[in-house]
Amino acid sequence: MNKTNILIGILFSLLVVAALLKNWNHEQDPENSSGRSEVIFWHFWGGEDRDVVDDVARRFNASQTKYFVRPVAMPGNNLQAKLFLAVAGGDPPDIVNQDDPVLADWGQRGVIQPLVDIAPAAEVTEIERWILDSARRLSTYQDKMYGLCNGLDIRALYYNKTVLEQHQLQPPRTISDLDEIANTLAPFQSTEKKQSYGYIPDSRRLWAWGYAFGGDFYDASSQRVVVDSPPIRGALQWMASYAQRYGSDNLAAFRQGDQSLPGKIFPLLPLDDQETSGRYSVIMDGQWRVRNLAAFTRNRQARGVATPEFGVCPLPIPETGSPRKNAGWVNGNFFVFPKGAKNSDGAWEFAKFWIGFTDPSQAAKTCSQGGWIPVSQTVTQDPQFQTYLDENPLFRTFVELSESPNQFPIPSVPGAAFFRRTIERAAFQAFDDPHADIDKILKDAEQQIQTHLNRNDNLRDGGRVDP
Amino acid sequence: MRKASRLSLYSALWLASAIFSLPLLLMLSGSLKTTEQLARNPYRLWPENIRWENYPVALESMPLLRYLGNTLILCTGCVIGTTLSCALIAYGLSRVRWGGRKYLFALVVGSMLLPWHVTMIPRFVLISELGLYNSFWAIIGPTFLGDAFFIFLLRQFFLTLPEELFEAGRLDGLSHLGLFWKILIPLSKPAIATVALFQFVQTWNDFSGPLLYLNDPQKFPLAYGLERFVSSYGDQTHLLLAASVLFTLPIVVLFFLAQRTFIDGISTTGIKN
Amino acid sequence: MSQSTTNLKQSEKVDRFAGLMFCSPWIVGFVFLFAWPFAASFYWSLCRFDLINPPEFIGLENYRRLTSELQSQKGFGLALTNTLYYSLISVSLSVVTGVLLATLLSAKVKGQAIYRTLVFLPSVIPIVAASVLWIWLLDPESGMINYLLSWIGIPSQNWLNQSRSALSPAGFTEFSQWLQGGALNLFGSKDALILMTMWGVGNFVVIYLAAISDIPGQLYEAAEIDGANVIRKFYHVTLPMLSPVIFFNLIMGLIRSVQTFASVYVLSEGTGEPGGSLMLISMQLFLSAFADFEMGYTSAMAWVLFVLLLAATTLLFRTSKHWVHYRTSS
Repeated sequence: MNKTNILIGILFSLLVVAALLKNWNHEQDPENSSGRSEVIFWHFWGGEDRDVVDDVARRFNASQTKYFVRPVAMPGNNLQAKLFLAVAGGDPPDIVNQDDPVLADWGQRGVIQPLVDIAPAAEVTEIERWILDSARRLSTYQDKMYGLCNGLDIRALYYNKTVLEQHQLQPPRTISDLDEIANTLAPFQSTEKKQSYGYIPDSRRLWAWGYAFGGDFYDASSQRVVVDSPPIRGALQWMASYAQRYGSDNLAAFRQGDQSLPGKIFPLLPLDDQETSGRYSVIMDGQWRVRNLAAFTRNRQARGVATPEFGVCPLPIPETGSPRKNAGWVNGNFFVFPKGAKNSDGAWEFAKFWIGFTDPSQAAKTCSQGGWIPVSQTVTQDPQFQTYLDENPLFRTFVELSESPNQFPIPSVPGAAFFRRTIERAAFQAFDDPHADIDKILKDAEQQIQTHLNRNDNLRDGGRVDP
Repeated sequence: MRKASRLSLYSALWLASAIFSLPLLLMLSGSLKTTEQLARNPYRLWPENIRWENYPVALESMPLLRYLGNTLILCTGCVIGTTLSCALIAYGLSRVRWGGRKYLFALVVGSMLLPWHVTMIPRFVLISELGLYNSFWAIIGPTFLGDAFFIFLLRQFFLTLPEELFEAGRLDGLSHLGLFWKILIPLSKPAIATVALFQFVQTWNDFSGPLLYLNDPQKFPLAYGLERFVSSYGDQTHLLLAASVLFTLPIVVLFFLAQRTFIDGISTTGIKN
Repeated sequence: MSQSTTNLKQSEKVDRFAGLMFCSPWIVGFVFLFAWPFAASFYWSLCRFDLINPPEFIGLENYRRLTSELQSQKGFGLALTNTLYYSLISVSLSVVTGVLLATLLSAKVKGQAIYRTLVFLPSVIPIVAASVLWIWLLDPESGMINYLLSWIGIPSQNWLNQSRSALSPAGFTEFSQWLQGGALNLFGSKDALILMTMWGVGNFVVIYLAAISDIPGQLYEAAEIDGANVIRKFYHVTLPMLSPVIFFNLIMGLIRSVQTFASVYVLSEGTGEPGGSLMLISMQLFLSAFADFEMGYTSAMAWVLFVLLLAATTLLFRTSKHWVHYRTSS
């Protein structure tokens, strides 16, 4: 009996310890909602961004007497699967912020509600006119809005102006300019490992280069996947040529090295005070790096260390020209409103507040705090955001790009996640194997994606989708 | 000749132990270094200056204590559920005389062959229909319905108990429930402890359960909670290592406390089959 | 088992009610956690189903898709190939290293308990923690493993960032080119996974150790009288006596390796990448169910897996009588 008692004793003391520990972290229990109806809001931001998110929620809560938003940080992988499980499990949040291309899938299957179901139709129509093309594309499926885009991710080329000037190089306007930069700073014909490169393409960015080369991945009018087209083939061939020139294994290891840099520092930045050049002199990245560059420059100037000058330019186009100006790949964050949520009304109010539809100056504040691109020109023109742009001139290029009609997202079709995965895997293959037959890789991918999308089409024809 | 073979035996043992323990030592030492030290000299086993601060910093940046609390609740619940249900069931399969038990036991053994993949989706549907989604009961509940492997283990053990004791109990007028509590349980403590220990470790490590059934970060246990930080803390290996050490330590301590139970538990399951 | 039935005395009456009562938790569990899910997933495998809308019967369509993916080596085909590669290599390696280590650790030397503990300890480390650790150890630039490999002249490997695998035709070509002075990029993500799995081989070692200690000493003495040396003793006594346990571990290892999930999830950050090389069956199942919403297709995949596993186990049982030596109790 003695030992059993000990065992039971241990179990109970564990329970007591557990109960104590559970109350240890109060960080996620802000002021209480004092009788207002709660809006549970999932997002995946961490670090500095999370403070901005919490601040938006605080400002919204202060502006309100009816609703109370409770932000829940959900870092980690496969948030889209978690949301799907929550809807299927019958306990969804009221509003979710996402940046994976899942809007069409969820819309088609009725996991999320179209905006017209939760908001007055007139208001939805007005918002459609109000937001940027690129933002609308990101939240539309079959001409119907299923979400509200609240932030755009635009890619452009960052360059180290000082290094380029040292070598009498200009910011690249065409692909061959870019090749010249890469070849000058790290000659192509040598396979030894290097400490830094002028430029190397990233296999995950076939989306961006495909659009920049004038290609399209999907033809919405005929519902055909058109991955194996000359512009995209050209883009991938050009990208993979770097893997052949430098050795794909070297590039893979070098890329991994970027990930483990201390503080996840932007690899464009020099690591030591003595250096002017970072791991790259030209690199494609999003607008959030502007913040890193500014912090870097501030830090060096404060210590009186000479700092290189940086610049941003749109993606270069092929020598032969491209029909599109300022083309590229746009991604972004959007709010969606799960079906079965308890408080969609409050969620809608919060989403409007965030994007600045209720009050542009609030969104201008958010965007300047977080370094985010506004989704409407109304917000951009707000004096507060203009001040931000004056202080961060590099950011202006991104805002201009976001207003271009030629910024395209991953096609908004059911199966977009598969679409994306397959394209990126195809590009990875082309990089990984120097002797790969790029034409075949793209053909395979095209066929595979088409089959996948057709399967979803059948589902739609089956008429099981809620009207 | 004899000496030479002795020497090679020892060097082989040393080599094997070194290979197996090196990663653990590196985990420990890495958790006490700075990022810079890790980048500059990752292989140095003894850090130049030990940074205990990594641990408080890790505890601050990830809600590890809350996760730990959740893990403990889950572990306790599952251990209670499994030991109770499996002991009852194994008793019914070994010490109660009835016609169906042969077939039922065959079913128990057969169900072990079924990979979890097949039942994953229907189980999820069932759990959410019962309204248990996003509740600890989604994970604890099923343990109250027994686990084939543990039932098997306990049944084999119960069968080795001398029948005379039960006979005497019956003569004293004990019912089956009385026999179970007064005779079987006191005699079976080692076996039940083994089951409890294994269930504890299993729940401690369980990753797919919380991944599927929990959606409130306040309810996440360590195994799943830690995973969520792996990609966002890719540059802070020292903190991830410190968190991993904290996550691992209780299991290692448990192992040293109950080494015999661990080893015997594993080896008997291997041999009995 | 037989002795217990003969032991039953007159006073123990047949008591079906008590039996059913004691077993009722499991009966409930069996019905709801096995029988119903088993039947439901089979029905769903014949449907298009996304958990949100009602299932729609489509006959064998999902199975046809699986067959075509097997041919094209995409989706299920790729996942099955990955799983086969991982299972075959990790299970056979764990048998070989397990037996060798157990033999080594059964030698009667001072401090053996410490050696045993050190070898066993990694197998109790939680998978998620172990994965975090190995992501770091396998880092191409600052990882310990590449550093150790460099001691024996092997250039830096890309491990988790590389979709190729060492024991494949491409791997052999790569290796032979390296011998002729080319570059070497041999080890990929699945090899990394195997390496990590092997680190936890201690579980199996313990089972072999227990089995070795059960081998009667006379057998070795008899072999010694016949003039057998260490290797012959191992081959003619240890191995045959261990064969039932090896057989058991083969089956357990197979089942376990096919179900591997947490480690690939953590190592690939929930994606199964790079290049789909960590897309093991369980990862593919999770993603096609909850990221692609294809419950029907996923159920069909699970069923094919179940049948394959059953076939493999049966096959192992069939062949077992040719090489497994069960000790007769007499």
